[in-house]
Amino acid sequence: MKPEDALGAARTAAAARDDALPASMRIEPTERVSIEQLMEWANIEPDVDLMRSTRKLGAPITWAKRQLIHVMRQYLRELQSQQTRFNLNLLIRVAELEDRVARLEERSGQAPPER
Amino acid sequence: MLSGAGPYDAVTTQALAFRDRFRVWGWGGRDVAAEIDPRIGDRIAPLRSLTAAGIGASDVLLVHYSAYAPKLRGVLEMPQRKLLISHNITPARWFWDHDPQAGVVCALGRKQLPQFAAAVDVAAGVSLYNAQEFGSDVVIPILFDPAGLGVPRRPPADPATWTAPDAPTILFVGRLAPHKRQDAVIRAFELYRRRHAPAARLVLVGAPINWPYDAAMRVLAEEISPGRVTIESGLTNEQLAERWRWADAFLCLSEHEGFCIPLLEAFHFGVPVIARAIGGVPEVAGDAALLLGDDDDESVAAEALALAVGDGELRATLRERGAARIDAYAPDRTAAKLRAVLESLAA
Repeated sequence: MKPEDALGAARTAAAARDDALPASMRIEPTERVSIEQLMEWANIEPDVDLMRSTRKLGAPITWAKRQLIHVMRQYLRELQSQQTRFNLNLLIRVAELEDRVARLEERSGQAPPER
Repeated sequence: MLSGAGPYDAVTTQALAFRDRFRVWGWGGRDVAAEIDPRIGDRIAPLRSLTAAGIGASDVLLVHYSAYAPKLRGVLEMPQRKLLISHNITPARWFWDHDPQAGVVCALGRKQLPQFAAAVDVAAGVSLYNAQEFGSDVVIPILFDPAGLGVPRRPPADPATWTAPDAPTILFVGRLAPHKRQDAVIRAFELYRRRHAPAARLVLVGAPINWPYDAAMRVLAEEISPGRVTIESGLTNEQLAERWRWADAFLCLSEHEGFCIPLLEAFHFGVPVIARAIGGVPEVAGDAALLLGDDDDESVAAEALALAVGDGELRATLRERGAARIDAYAPDRTAAKLRAVLESLAA
């Protein structure tokens, strides 16, 4: 078979199949982040497991890095809380503004812009 | 100059390949990076070691641009002539859910690219697709030297008598990252396996973006195709060549590729390629691959795999056309383009 004919043949063969795999995780791009998703992200929760050494035989370094996080936990919690407080309040303000714009558009009979 | 340097990073490999050429041409200079993975050793020096006093007025600065790099901004203010090679940055939308830090670096990197491109003397892309992203038509492709990968398997003497192996190996090489869509590769492979080759196996080679993503892909592979999928990273060149030598087809369902070096690796090893026609892929693959369209789902990919593995004539034609693509991207040809641009800047 020539390469030019192969895709057509593959499409025909695929169309004749009715088998399907069970639903599973499908990677999708995040095209537009919703306010709900932003709310979730606003509450920052870095995963301690991500803190690790990439060096060969880096286990002791990983251990040391995690100990450092443990030792610094009071400061890090404070940092996390302050950042989350700012994130959430800013988001609430954005959500309120979005609502207000929508109401004004509705009142003036304008269609909302494409998003 | 690189924004970041690491042992399994394609851009670092490229910078080191350039350095080998510069040495052969009798040129001086050195390689520096803003961020350095300790595993790279002393082959790349820190950016801070580059001082204005250490660079001659007629020297040329070559910037490999592949991520947001605020530290590189200072380079733009240097009086020397500059060449920027953009290695393509993945859109951030692929990373927000799985690696926010990478998302931020990509978002800012893509935003900053036009400013960098405008501030240098020549801005080039590794593919035309890539160059056009910032309005350039200068292309300096990836310097791909197959010699370092070793020799391919001997092709069958007569394609007409070719029979598909009982346990074919399907390969994908590329970072374990959301835009590479290994999840789709696993599903297409499993459909192919169920329909055509129950003993087939899939090998995914590539460093993960992070450990949770690696774990998620392993769970997915076990769920969809138990015991049939191997996920590997950190391979040496010899080990990678071994994977290529035993591969019966290369399946790439990436949603974003600026160039896709593994296409050339597949052509070098005579492995038939099935790939999504996205980004720089059609330009690099030319007519040497089965290019899937936007509407072609995993079921079509599975059937294309069956043809690429089982049809001797198709395999022979793809192998022949692949060799022509290797010729089009011959290292001397690419090096000549690079040299011409650099010499025109130095003149």
